[in-house]
Amino acid sequence: MGKYLLRRVLQMIPVVLGTTLLVYALVFALPGDPVKAMFGDKPVNEAVAAQIRAEYNLDKPFIIQYLLFLKNALTLNFGQTFAGQPITAEIARAFPVTIRLGIMAFFFEAIFGIIFGIISGLKKGKWYDTVILIVSLLLISVPTFVTGFAGQYFLGVQWSLIPVTAGNDPGFFDLLFPAMVLGSVSMAYIIRLTRSEISSNIAEDYVRTARAKGMSNKSVMVRHVLRNSLIPVVTYLGQDLGALMGGAMITEQIFNIHGVGFLTYQSILKGESNLVVSIVTLLMLVFVVCNLIVDLLYAALDPRIRYA
Amino acid sequence: MTENVNENTEAKIVAMQREQGPLLEVKDLQVDFTTDDKRAVHAVRDASFSVYPGQWVAIVGESGSGKSTSAMAVLGLLPGTGHIVGGSIKLEGQEIAGFKPKEFDKLRGSKMGLVPQDPMSNLNPVYRIGTQVKEALKANGMDVSHEKRSALAKALAGDEVAVKGNDDETFIGSAQLPALLEDAKSALTAIGVSGEKFDNVMQYFKDEWVPGSETRWRVADDLIKAGVSDDKAWEIAKKHVTGSTMEDRIAGLLSEAGLPDAATRARQYPHEFSGGMRQRALIAIGLACRPDLLIADEPTSALDVTVQKKILDHLHMLTDSLGTAVLFITHDLGLAAERAQHIVVMYKGQVVESGPSLEVLQHPQHPYTKRLVAAAPSLASQRIISAKERGEDADALLEHQVKGEATLEKSEHIITVDHLTKEFKLPRKKEMFKAVDDVSFSVKRGTTLAIVGESGSGKSTVANMVLKLLEPTSGTVTYEGKDISSFKGKELLDFRRHVQPVFQNPYGSLDPMYSIYRSIEEPLRIHKIGDKKSRAKRVRELLDMVEMPESVMTRYPNELSGGQRQRIAIARAMALDPDVIICDEAVSALDVLVQDQVLRLLNDLQAEKGLSYLFITHDLAVVRQIADEVVVMQHGRLVEHATTDEVFDHPKMQYTRDLLDAIPGGKLQLGLD
Repeated sequence: MGKYLLRRVLQMIPVVLGTTLLVYALVFALPGDPVKAMFGDKPVNEAVAAQIRAEYNLDKPFIIQYLLFLKNALTLNFGQTFAGQPITAEIARAFPVTIRLGIMAFFFEAIFGIIFGIISGLKKGKWYDTVILIVSLLLISVPTFVTGFAGQYFLGVQWSLIPVTAGNDPGFFDLLFPAMVLGSVSMAYIIRLTRSEISSNIAEDYVRTARAKGMSNKSVMVRHVLRNSLIPVVTYLGQDLGALMGGAMITEQIFNIHGVGFLTYQSILKGESNLVVSIVTLLMLVFVVCNLIVDLLYAALDPRIRYA
Repeated sequence: MTENVNENTEAKIVAMQREQGPLLEVKDLQVDFTTDDKRAVHAVRDASFSVYPGQWVAIVGESGSGKSTSAMAVLGLLPGTGHIVGGSIKLEGQEIAGFKPKEFDKLRGSKMGLVPQDPMSNLNPVYRIGTQVKEALKANGMDVSHEKRSALAKALAGDEVAVKGNDDETFIGSAQLPALLEDAKSALTAIGVSGEKFDNVMQYFKDEWVPGSETRWRVADDLIKAGVSDDKAWEIAKKHVTGSTMEDRIAGLLSEAGLPDAATRARQYPHEFSGGMRQRALIAIGLACRPDLLIADEPTSALDVTVQKKILDHLHMLTDSLGTAVLFITHDLGLAAERAQHIVVMYKGQVVESGPSLEVLQHPQHPYTKRLVAAAPSLASQRIISAKERGEDADALLEHQVKGEATLEKSEHIITVDHLTKEFKLPRKKEMFKAVDDVSFSVKRGTTLAIVGESGSGKSTVANMVLKLLEPTSGTVTYEGKDISSFKGKELLDFRRHVQPVFQNPYGSLDPMYSIYRSIEEPLRIHKIGDKKSRAKRVRELLDMVEMPESVMTRYPNELSGGQRQRIAIARAMALDPDVIICDEAVSALDVLVQDQVLRLLNDLQAEKGLSYLFITHDLAVVRQIADEVVVMQHGRLVEHATTDEVFDHPKMQYTRDLLDAIPGGKLQLGLD
């Protein structure tokens, strides 16, 4: 187990190097000159521009820029934004918001996804199963910017039931509807996954054996059907948590939530390569760790899987 | 656990059985399944049988005969849409057929136990073995420190030792075991037992005194038998045998079921167990709450023969000592006869015969039973019988139509080919080429007709026309009295279902991109038979039928040998339970040994299922092994048609004689043995 963990952690090194290089190259390849963009409508002062380029190493070849970034990153110095803010401060401001939003979305999709999935799976073919299936299909097929904008317009603007935008340092109620929008697609998948798992597990031989033991319907359902059905659901949720922590670019844009997704989008627009790469690296670490947790969780839930 | 049931007690059992009446009485049971289009399929029709206390009763029949369904109806565990539509099921005189699920919960485990068929799928992979035994004990609120004995077992035990009260049924606890052994040792020393005898006795104690399984009176009894005085023995037993914990009881149950090192094993997961060990665990679970009736649904059919015997021996011993009645479900008549006192034979949902085992075996009345007797794998001496005899059997079966089945008279000839002609247009030639010229013959139900001839004699063309893959130029092919050329839509699909081909080239007839599983499952899928799960089960059965391991399911044709592929092709042909199989040079591409194996397989399948074969080959040696009748073809014409023996002994035509001479070693006797 210890060896396995060590191996997984070591595996992260090439992953980190590869992704940072790739992202750096992509940002570098973006059209437009970020320095010129800073001057906006005013004429570009070449001397000042050259000074800024030198300050941010933008005058050096791509690979040197990248290596310089890596060197600084190793000492946890991620540099500054063009506006002079330390990148770490920018990220530290955005992350808590995204974590709040992500966790709310996570609980929303987990709780409602599993509950509706169980109802659907146990009552396969009944009318509520059909209704649940149709709704989940709708949620899967309609993009989040449609559900998001529609909800924002009707619930927020027309009927004033929810705050229209979240703004700085949003609270629980500011994030409630955005979290529902963010979690809705995954919820639909979880419903379908839980439903199919339940309905296939219920026909398993060991479920019949459990009944033959004289166990009550309730304990058969909980101990044998549910327990086994939730294994793939839990792993799906674990992976989704990583995705949610990455922030939701679209949802955060719609509701003006200043989280990681919002920050990433803005920094791509401004061509802030260091900021983009820093965020992406961090997100990737979160993702890899979440995946590792999922794998370990999987082993804990299913004894047939053991890591050595 | 080791007491022998002697003749005296046997007589006593019989007396008790008479006195108490049947433990389980099933009368005119009818079980229906509802299909998707709301039709009722009668799985069990008017089945009646009884099980007396302590008795082994076997229900024998092929898959789909309703034997498992009957048993599941008794347990209230009918799968899917199954439901009881008529008849009664009485357990200890109480009608349980109309019970609600909650009421069944109370019976299951404590009154009726189940040992299911497939040990691989019947244990939940995520729980430890011990936990799964514990569930059974907990669900029925079992007292884990005391043994629960049936009235029958009590009466039997009373013969040997007077069981004085509930306390005497207290289990040994693992915590107290060392002290118990210590005291036993000093007691033995005190009465002057020493040397080898001392060692033997102590070893016996160590082996026999299993915590959670052996009880106080057994300990006292063992000590008394070793020479310790009554008072001393009971004193030791009372002092140290004070009840077991849940863990002890679980280990005790598992070790009773024959699992070595049970305490450790209980902490393992099912995937760490072999099939045989899992089945032992399932036996422990089935018997955990000491049910009066144990339903053993093909408990060993998934295991290999040696393990099968061990496990059944053990189960027999265990149920005898506990006085548990067993309803034993099997497809193997020999196995049933060996184990059960009473046999019930089921066929197509009905009980066609029942009686004492030996009687059924020695004087089978119903033709289906006769066929079972002939095919029973354990009755080795009778297993391989000549094709001719089997043919007669199959005819006899026709005379005894199972009541309730379509009484519409079926003709003796399942396939008739009448003046069949097929002409092909050859390129750059005016006249048509007659591949098949005015050929007539018929295949009798349950027999094999071989078409022999060199390549180009038109035999494969005949096969293709019989399969309705080619349209004849003139003449007709009739199947079950109906002209196949008129078949369309549903009728054609039905025909395709009942007439299946096995082609020559096993390399070409399996899609290389399909896994073996998918290949065999495909016909079931096309004909919309069953759901995913039942199809998977069917595929496993089919693989078992052609003696291939389940592990090939995930493999691809290129990973298998020619003989193996041909078995897969046969399994695929058998998937839809056809009446007729058309084997077009089915064994020609195989080497002699493999050929023999496949022929035997085909022989066995014919005996078991009453199939008819149209067997196309160029090899007369093969014909002798498999065919009842032979048609010899040359240049598209039928030159000779006679029984196999006639063709071999008195060939009429020169061409046939030439063919016969071409058999290597043809004068040697090529029997079926």
